[in-house]
Amino acid sequence: MDSSIRNRLLTILFVFGLGIYALLPSLRYSLMDEEKKSNLSDDQIDYFESRSIKQGLDLKGGIYIVLEVDLPQLIDNLAKNKDNNFNGFLIDLKNEYNNSSSDFFTVFENLADEKELKLPRYFINYGKTKDQIITQLSLQSEDSIKRVIEIIQNRVDQFGVAEPTIQKQGNNRVIVELAGIEDSERARDLLQSTALLELMIVKNVESTNAIIRQIDSIMTASNGNVEQNDQINELFDSSSSSELGFSSLLISVGGNLAIASKDLTALKDILSKEDVKQILEATNSTILTSDSSIKLINEIGEEEEFYTLFHLFNNAELTGGVIEDAQMRLSQAGVTAGQAVVEVEMNSEGSREWARITGANINNRIAIVLDKKVHMAPVIRSQIFGGGTVIEGLDSIEEAEDIAIVLRAGALPVPVTIAEERTVGASLGADSISKGTLSMAIGLLLVVCFIVFFYKMSGLIASFSVMWTLILLLGVLALLEATLTLPGIAGLILTVGMSVDANVIIFERIKEELRNGKSVRSAIDSGYERAIRTIVDANLTTGIAAAVLYQYGSGPIKGFATVLFWGIIVSMFTAIIVTRFVFDFVTTRKNIERLSI
Amino acid sequence: MKFMENTKINFMKFKSFGFGLSSVLAFGSIILLLMGVNLGIDFKGGTAIGVSFSEDVSIQEVRGSLKSVSLNDSVVDLSGEEIKYFGSQSDVMIKIKSLDNEPENFGQIVINHLYDSMSAKAPENKNDFILSLGSVSPKVGSELSGKAFWSVVSALVLILFYISVRFEFRFALGAILALVHDVVITLGIFSLTGFEITLSTVAAFLTIVGYSLNDTIVILDRIRENMKSSGTVMFESTINKSINQSLSRTLITSLTTLFVIIVLLVYGGEVIRPFSFTMLVGVIVGTYSSIYIASALLATIYQSSNK
Repeated sequence: MDSSIRNRLLTILFVFGLGIYALLPSLRYSLMDEEKKSNLSDDQIDYFESRSIKQGLDLKGGIYIVLEVDLPQLIDNLAKNKDNNFNGFLIDLKNEYNNSSSDFFTVFENLADEKELKLPRYFINYGKTKDQIITQLSLQSEDSIKRVIEIIQNRVDQFGVAEPTIQKQGNNRVIVELAGIEDSERARDLLQSTALLELMIVKNVESTNAIIRQIDSIMTASNGNVEQNDQINELFDSSSSSELGFSSLLISVGGNLAIASKDLTALKDILSKEDVKQILEATNSTILTSDSSIKLINEIGEEEEFYTLFHLFNNAELTGGVIEDAQMRLSQAGVTAGQAVVEVEMNSEGSREWARITGANINNRIAIVLDKKVHMAPVIRSQIFGGGTVIEGLDSIEEAEDIAIVLRAGALPVPVTIAEERTVGASLGADSISKGTLSMAIGLLLVVCFIVFFYKMSGLIASFSVMWTLILLLGVLALLEATLTLPGIAGLILTVGMSVDANVIIFERIKEELRNGKSVRSAIDSGYERAIRTIVDANLTTGIAAAVLYQYGSGPIKGFATVLFWGIIVSMFTAIIVTRFVFDFVTTRKNIERLSI
Repeated sequence: MKFMENTKINFMKFKSFGFGLSSVLAFGSIILLLMGVNLGIDFKGGTAIGVSFSEDVSIQEVRGSLKSVSLNDSVVDLSGEEIKYFGSQSDVMIKIKSLDNEPENFGQIVINHLYDSMSAKAPENKNDFILSLGSVSPKVGSELSGKAFWSVVSALVLILFYISVRFEFRFALGAILALVHDVVITLGIFSLTGFEITLSTVAAFLTIVGYSLNDTIVILDRIRENMKSSGTVMFESTINKSINQSLSRTLITSLTTLFVIIVLLVYGGEVIRPFSFTMLVGVIVGTYSSIYIASALLATIYQSSNK
């Protein structure tokens, strides 16, 4: 064997070996049955998960969510001395930002200039000039997105999902991918819940009644004499009852005020009225509803859902920041026995505060508020030391578990909205994968038959090279820890096509050279030489396209580009180097006079 | 095996016919596209829901059930939205335009509503009921379309540049026009079928771009090679010779690719169908355009610049 052939053989064997080595964990993992998988240790699972080709959510099923940090809300939270001017600005800011493709702070700055809003008036803590303030605010937003990612990471880890992906996108989004998850509803709630726990003192009955009367008088004033007509309308349309005044919506249930679920919209409308907001602000209070509803029989004998209404001191006595641990428990005693509750433990600072608050508010009620919903509002009977408290009023064990998770993981500093979501049910994913694999296999088989039929022995060599193209490409994908999605499979198909094409170009050239009367040896040499130029040009052009798509494309397009880019490199290797080697190897050993092509 | 060897077809004789056909097809496609492309939620925002009932359902039934869906604090009528079967008569796909003030878990609310109101025909486990759920906010939708558009445009510009350097600008012009031709006509035929354009179909279009480009370069490369011996005199015959020389390769490659695509179309399942269909059309148009657009344009360009 001459040295050129031997060196080439070693190179090829080395690359093949590398490909097989890279692909081995994926193969072993996918061939393992469920029972064996469940016997693996965590380390082993980590090893297999990280070394295997991952299937994208479109193939495997699962949920993909892009969460967007609510930057207008963040600005709202950071602002001081808010007035009508500022509130109007904020509404415009939200609309403007939603309809624009520019960066949030660019929109913010332009709009502030346009409206001649004096930023230092509202953000004096963040600087004295406009530029200083905007720099500081954008730092704050970066900081909060970091915090959001951390917290979501915590929540996902505690929820127990295999191989979650959490990454930042742009400067205000977080992409969360949870593969193989079944209950998408629960996962979504878990990710999105702000988990802002607040302990707030409930205002006493007198001041609550005063507020309700004040709101009533505002509403009568604004409706004026239209009221008479509305009374008639009310017989037909219950939703207009809000026009009749606030108190008409409320009923008294066991010492609490309650509102029917159908009237929640009306309540929202009332609370968003500018005058009402001012009254609440002046008395430093807020009105919230309960998280769970009660069913009551109304006057016409129908069952109706009611939510309890609470009038609370607006500033929270304590927030979730002081929580050290939260656990789901089944309540042992009392009326709640057997129900799921969450036991919360506070750190030492929190415990001290808690003792002070409970000491100062004996016989008052304290509301436990999670994400602006009141979970319970027990009366404080005595001072509580040690920083323990229990959250009751949860619907199910799952809900209790999830609340414990979000409390442990911490509250999101800003609310997040879902900008994009894709959930693929496990059955659809499995369907795609089995059908996709089946058709890939049939397709490949047909291709092989076709080339062998056309090119005889040389066709076999080509099939061999196409097969290795696939193996090596999958190997590269495993090494890159890439995720295979549907568009990725498209990339695989294109790669197979281009790999077959490279071989066809070479064979046709060789045939041409043979027709021109060249010997087998020199036909192979000049055939390859001429074909290589064509193949390189064709592949490099496509390679450029792939690289650009990778650079600019998003999600699925990126996946496609990755596969295509590496496919081109691998198929050039197999078509030019591997098949050439096989031809050379065969023709130097035997003096072949007729090529089976 | 001998296949299409030593053919001497005068392809350029039908050049005008080819231009005519392409113009008609491209023009028709552009009209179809202007009349409205069925853009998926990826590009214009909205919610798409796929649900799987345990027995066959009628579209009317689903439509009726969507007549009044109560959201957190209002009731909406979704019966006017796009509802269609997905693969079988028990699987249904519903596409809903984005609403103003849409609640966060809108898709899930609709799924829950369907599950409860048609519980007799729904599977026992709700997780089996949900095939897929996608929701894209209009803002993200416009970002995604912008990204997809610019990635395709910048890829085309760079390819133009590369071919100009490796070949000539006139070659590059022919290749790019052929590409645009392929994409436009495939889009036109695609819009006739009523499939919607999603990020996956964009990937299929990119595949066509890759495939068609590959095909075009192979022929252009032959022309470049033959030009060395014959120069630009009798340019049409050089082109004819080049196309004939690479004809067997063109056909064999196209046929092998078509095999894979047809198998994918038949056995690939519902999710991948729009993708396979796009590929099928694209490969046929792409093969044709390599000969009648890229090469024929080159002939026309050379003729007019040599006069």
